[in-house]
Amino acid sequence: MNYEIDFFYVLKGIDQLLEGLLVTVQLTLTSVVIGVIGGFLVCLMAMSQSRLIRLPTMAFIEVFRCTPALIQIVWIFYCVPMLFNVFLDPFVMGVLALSLNLIAFNAEAYRAAIQAIPKAHLDASIALGLTPLQTNLYVVLPQAIRLGMPVLVTNAISIFQQSALVAIVAIEDLMYMGKLLSTETYRPIETFTFVALMYFAIALPVMLLSSRLEKRYKTANS
Amino acid sequence: MTYTIDFLFLFEYWEVLLEGLMTSLQVTGLCLLLGLALGFLVSLMRVSSNKLIYSVSTVYVEFFRGTPVLIQLFWIFFCLPLILGTEISNFSSAVIALTLYMGAISSETFRASLLSIDKDQSDACVALGLDSLTKIMHVILPQAILRAVPTLLSNTVSLFKESALVSAVGMSDLMYIGQNISSVTAKPVEMLTAVAFIYFIIAFPLTRCVSLLEGKLIHKIAI
Amino acid sequence: MISSNAHSVKNAPNTALNQMGTEAFVSIRGLEKSYGPNIHVLKGLDLDMQPGDRIVVIGPSGGGKSTLLRCMMGLEEIAAGDITLGGEGYISAAPGKKGINKLNREVQKRVGMVFQHYTLFPHLTILSNLTLASVKSRGISRQEANAKAMSLLERFGLADKARAHPSQLSGGQKQRVAIARALMLSPELMLFDEVTSALDPELVNEVESVMLQLAEQKMPMMIVTHDMWFAKNIATRVVFCAGGVIVEDGTPEQVFGNPKEQRTREFLENVLHAGH
Repeated sequence: MNYEIDFFYVLKGIDQLLEGLLVTVQLTLTSVVIGVIGGFLVCLMAMSQSRLIRLPTMAFIEVFRCTPALIQIVWIFYCVPMLFNVFLDPFVMGVLALSLNLIAFNAEAYRAAIQAIPKAHLDASIALGLTPLQTNLYVVLPQAIRLGMPVLVTNAISIFQQSALVAIVAIEDLMYMGKLLSTETYRPIETFTFVALMYFAIALPVMLLSSRLEKRYKTANS
Repeated sequence: MTYTIDFLFLFEYWEVLLEGLMTSLQVTGLCLLLGLALGFLVSLMRVSSNKLIYSVSTVYVEFFRGTPVLIQLFWIFFCLPLILGTEISNFSSAVIALTLYMGAISSETFRASLLSIDKDQSDACVALGLDSLTKIMHVILPQAILRAVPTLLSNTVSLFKESALVSAVGMSDLMYIGQNISSVTAKPVEMLTAVAFIYFIIAFPLTRCVSLLEGKLIHKIAI
Repeated sequence: MISSNAHSVKNAPNTALNQMGTEAFVSIRGLEKSYGPNIHVLKGLDLDMQPGDRIVVIGPSGGGKSTLLRCMMGLEEIAAGDITLGGEGYISAAPGKKGINKLNREVQKRVGMVFQHYTLFPHLTILSNLTLASVKSRGISRQEANAKAMSLLERFGLADKARAHPSQLSGGQKQRVAIARALMLSPELMLFDEVTSALDPELVNEVESVMLQLAEQKMPMMIVTHDMWFAKNIATRVVFCAGGVIVEDGTPEQVFGNPKEQRTREFLENVLHAGH
């Protein structure tokens, strides 16, 4: 191997990487918030009695679950400005793409969670005279979040990984900065390894926390 | 609207798109086979009592699940040649990266299905005096594989979607061709929509199969 | 009523010979088993089984009944003790070495066991469930195994289920298949671990009838059950197992009718009030 490992240049460029990391984290957190709330709303829409609401919603969910995230990002990036004749900040377009993707996956997660709610609870709501809105808000939503939590967290971690794709449309996230730095310093091994470790360092604690929470919920319910 | 939509021109490019699709499917298919084999081996390592084997396999799985596939791909494409001292084609890097990815996610699937088999089944094998080989080949493995199939199918769909990333290292897959033609013809809406549509009509039926299979297999995996 | 061949061996000496001078069929000495450092389930249990004995083990939960059966099948590592079967050494705890027992696999093959939750192989047909061990581990030809399996299924009235999967059978049918599966290997001793406890009440009868059939054919058995009425019908001996040892041992009439020990009396009062 004619390559000498030298992290010096990577550490010099740490500022760039941290800027990129900030963008990644902002992208992820914004998308996660929108995705968690939007996912629940879309899930309710997908369970609506009205065909007019239900069918397009289901189509939306399937399209965003069955196509690569990359094409979703690229599509929004190139087509939305052209189609709607608007100029949107790249960051906003990134959030849009990632949020829509996350909403679709979360809607599925909520659906599974809602179906897991014992029917007895819904019967009790009717017996207590709660309106549909109250039932949804006070009985369904808390249970759906509790039962769906493991999958919602997994989906959030997944969006964190997928956010790296926005580098391909030149949004200056961690991935983009990493690639830039690797070409500037001619040190791809150190740079990419370091960037990978940065992603890992954030994802791993969340993954561990999630499995610990899962175990706690499981024992609490048995 | 200053953009006029015109889907007809797509038909001129159907051959090229088909080629791209073939490349995507080939990469997916190859990585599926290699990834499943790898995943199965790794899952066995993950249930091993040997600390070293367990640690190595766990680090591998957690790392490949905990980092973006894009960086895995870039690392293999840019860094591996430098380490090995030889050139690696973009096809090879793509296959290596996606195989490692599929290996990691399918190993979790296999591991979960192995662990889901009741300890009682082992007791029954002891009570019947079954030798280890028969027990593994005829009792444990068949059940583990049957239970894993629906999730493995989901893993395959994920693999197919991730395959779009190989365009980022210059492989002429469906995504790459779609992007190319979009920019050449300045008609991204039609072309990218068509590409998305093609991915969809392949991935969607597969996801429907997952629920169908779960229903059909339930009589064989239920107690 | 089944004719009983009862020999009471309450004061059995530390050999495999009983009072009559004939060799005990199964001999258990000093059986100890713990789960972890604090949970001692079996605390030096002694028990002899005479040829033709059908022993029903009763006792409170956690008293060691199921663990006793599992140790006899070789499913658990024992901390101390010896088990012999037919005069041959079967299982003995290795002195000093932790956990690895000496297990005679040839003897183990002569013991059959049926579990509370049937534990059939769900991915195989009923017929394959029955023939798997014979064909793969005993070297019996498939035709012979199939023939024997079909005749067993016919005897139990389940011949039409041969090609079905376990999930298509009721609990009682599954348990009868489980018994047939154990019988395929011509065991010398059958162990039944609470085999009717998981069944709906109306299905218990069909399983107990099969066991009574086996009793008529003089199959030696050790049965753990909560069904006292059934115990009276099938047992040649009843042992009360509590606190990890055998507290009382005698004929059904003796143990149920006139228990000698206080603990036995208390247990029977609680159970018989709740049950039949």
